[in-house]
This record gives sequence, structure tokens and C-alpha cells, in this order.
Amino acid sequence: MAAWLHGAWAVFLKDLKLELRSRYAINMLLMFVLAAILVVLFAVGREDISTKVQAGLLWIVILFSAAVGLGRAFIAEEERGTVLLLQLNTRGSMVYAGKLVFNFLLVLGVNLVSLGVFLVLLSVEVALPGLLLLTLVLGALGLAGATTLLAAIIARTASRGPLLPVLLFPLLMPLLLSVVNATNNSFAGSIPGPDGWTASLNALLALFGFAGVVITASVLLFDYVWND
Amino acid sequence: MNVMEGSVVKNAGINPALYKKVRLAVVVWMTVVVLGAFSFGGLWLNIPRINMLEHTARNLYFHVPMWFTMMAVTLVSAYHSYRYLQSGQLIRDIRARVAALLALVFGLLGLVTGSVWAHYTWYEGTNIWWNFDPKQSMAAVQVLIYGAYFVLRSALDDPEKRGRIAAVYNLFAFTTVPFLLYVLPRQMESLHPGAEGNPAFSEITDPIMRLVFYPAIIGFIGVFWLLYTQRVRTILIQQRLDALDEPEL
Repeated sequence: MAAWLHGAWAVFLKDLKLELRSRYAINMLLMFVLAAILVVLFAVGREDISTKVQAGLLWIVILFSAAVGLGRAFIAEEERGTVLLLQLNTRGSMVYAGKLVFNFLLVLGVNLVSLGVFLVLLSVEVALPGLLLLTLVLGALGLAGATTLLAAIIARTASRGPLLPVLLFPLLMPLLLSVVNATNNSFAGSIPGPDGWTASLNALLALFGFAGVVITASVLLFDYVWND
Repeated sequence: MNVMEGSVVKNAGINPALYKKVRLAVVVWMTVVVLGAFSFGGLWLNIPRINMLEHTARNLYFHVPMWFTMMAVTLVSAYHSYRYLQSGQLIRDIRARVAALLALVFGLLGLVTGSVWAHYTWYEGTNIWWNFDPKQSMAAVQVLIYGAYFVLRSALDDPEKRGRIAAVYNLFAFTTVPFLLYVLPRQMESLHPGAEGNPAFSEITDPIMRLVFYPAIIGFIGVFWLLYTQRVRTILIQQRLDALDEPEL
């Protein structure tokens, strides 16, 4: 177990160091989020939109940024030709765990930044910050869990990049419905109002279960994708 | 060569004489079901005319069995994907792929029949074709998943790898669908029987309609079985022909 943790941690550190050296994914995701939110702003204009639509728009931006940014995780290994080295030195589950943690932190960072920009630019008022934060964390966990396995899948295909959203979005429908519901409940002026926590209980449970199931299934299936 | 041919034929696992009998049985069965479904005479299987539904109630014999078939086929596809990962036999991949295609077909048919039916009954007088009904949304997601499954297949060249990766995606998607069952009914209202606050199917369906409805379910599953075995065998024969064409090295 200690050796396994050590291996997973090493994979995570490697990805973190590489990322900090080039800052490619971070910069790209930041620019993507900013551009996407500006697109939303220009499209919406000064229109008064309901909290439900606001929550929906926020999560659409997050989903697309995840689909753009997280696909890199395994493609980069293929491009650098380091897949074989990883296969020789670590077990599949370590690689998955390391990549999952890295992706989770990346998505969480993107979520927080896009949330901040979104709240300021669309002047949204948050009534229940705790609920919003919990939703973001659980949402990021489910998102990273689903995307990491699919990123490994698309790294094996010929066309790579543009395939990820096609594979990802149908799987994320339960996640999207739950996060939009909980996010909406945390905004001031939403229909449940101060009862946001109780109204979001089902959504939070679903998010928790979704993340758990997706990560468990990924761990079970990852070796079939990773090993030739 | 003989050994290989033998294994391919054995994998097909179908007795032609029995197959022909079952095919005839399914054809006769479905003919009777269709006749029963459209018997307008009034003497035989006359259905009650419920306000608004009127004769469209006969769509029950087609729309609902299509869903049941899709659900069953989804299970078949996931099962064979699982067996492919276990065994690596290409026949499992062929079965999973054909089942996925048929699930897609039955899913689309169910969506179309349901959408048209709802437009002229539940949403009569409105311009609604698509109203986010939980069952409808779930079917749409399932159709999207199988669409993505085939896109993924087309992006992989090596048959062994294609089978493996596609099986992983099939199973992975299969684990996320039950969440829709949990999430959707809590966020959307349904007009389907059996949903929260609506009377159950058994309470509002006339016994005379069940005389056709239950056989229709069996009939549609029979149609699936025919198409499924036929497609699988065609692909196997195609593969044997391709293997014959290849120059021996």
C-alpha cells in the first residue's frame, strides 16, 4: 500500500512539475474560461436572466473547459513517447490515481476561477457560499473522475483531440443536472431561498454517488485501456 | 485453415433448421400482433375510446415494447462487452456492437413514436414535440451514448484494440445511466403512467389491450433476436470471405 501511494504520488508530482514548467494547460484553461464567459456575456447582454439559467451557463462553461483541458493528460504521454516508461515502472492504477488527483486539482482551480469571474461579471449574488463550494468540489471530483478514463481512451485513438466532448457529454448528464440544481439553490433569488441546503440534498447525494461510481468503474476498467 | 473455419462456424453457434423455425414463428407472431393492434372491426379486440387518446391508444402496442426491447438490448450489449474484456474473443465484440446498433435503432424508434404520440395527445393544441420528460430524456442520453460509441469505434483501426477500448466505453457509460433514474424524476415532471402522482400502468390499461400488449413485447424482442442473430452471422460470413481473399504469405 505504501509503495502504491508512493507510485501514485510520483506520477502526480511528475505531472505537476511538467505543468509548472510549461504552464500550458493552466494558461490555456484560463484563457478558455475567460473567452467563454465573455462569449456568454456578449450573447446575454444586459438581459435579466433567472438564477437557473445563470447556473446552467456557468456549468456549460466549466464542462467545455474541462473537455478542452483535461484531454491532454494522456495525449501528452503518447506524444512525448513516455507511455512505455510509465508502463514499465508503475502499475496502471498508480498512473490513474496520479492523473486523477492532478486533473481534480486542475478542474477545481478552473471551477474557482470561472466562478469568481462569472459572479463578478454577471453580478450574481450568492446566498449560501458553503453549498456553492461543496457543489463545486463534488462536481469537480465527478468531472475529473469521468474525464480521466476517457482521456486515456482518446489517447489511444487516431484522431485524439476533438473526440473527448462527444464521448464525455452523454455521460455527464446526471452530473450536469445535479450541479445546476445545487448551484441554482445557492444563488440569492432562487426559488427554494433559505431552504437551499435541504432542497439540494438529493442533488448532493447524487453527485457524491456519481463521483464514487465513476471513479470505481474507472479503476476497474483502466488497465484494459492502459495495457496493450 | 480448416481449424480456423471450424472455430468460426462453432462461434456462430446457430442451428440453421431451428433458426428457420424460430424465424417463421416470429414472423407469424408479429403478423398476428399487428393485425390485433389494428383490428378496427369493433367485434374483435375493440379498445375503449378514452377522451383525447381515442385510437392513438393503439400506439401502446408499439411505443412501449420498443422501450422494453431497447432496455433489454442495452443489457445484452453491456454483457457482451464485459465478456469481451474477460475473454478477448472477437465474437463477443461483434455481439456487443450489433446489440448496440439495435439498441440505437429501437431507441430512435421509441423516441419518434413517443414524440409524435405525445404531440397529438398530451400536448394537443400546443406546438410541443419535445418536453423534458424524464423517460424521454433518459432515452435521448442512451441514444447519444451509443452514437458516441460508434464514433469511438470508427476512430480505432486495430480490431483487437477497437474491441477493447469500445468495450471499456460501453461499460463505463453503462454505469452512469442508473444515475439518470435517480436524478431525473426529482427534477422533471412526467406525464407517463407510474410516475409520481400518476396512476400506475396497471390501473389505467384496459384488460382487452393487454391481450395485444404483452404479446407485442414478446414479438418485438423476437424481432430484435432475429435482426441480431442475422447481423452477427452476416458479419462472421463477411469475415470468412475477407480471410479467403487475403493472399497467403
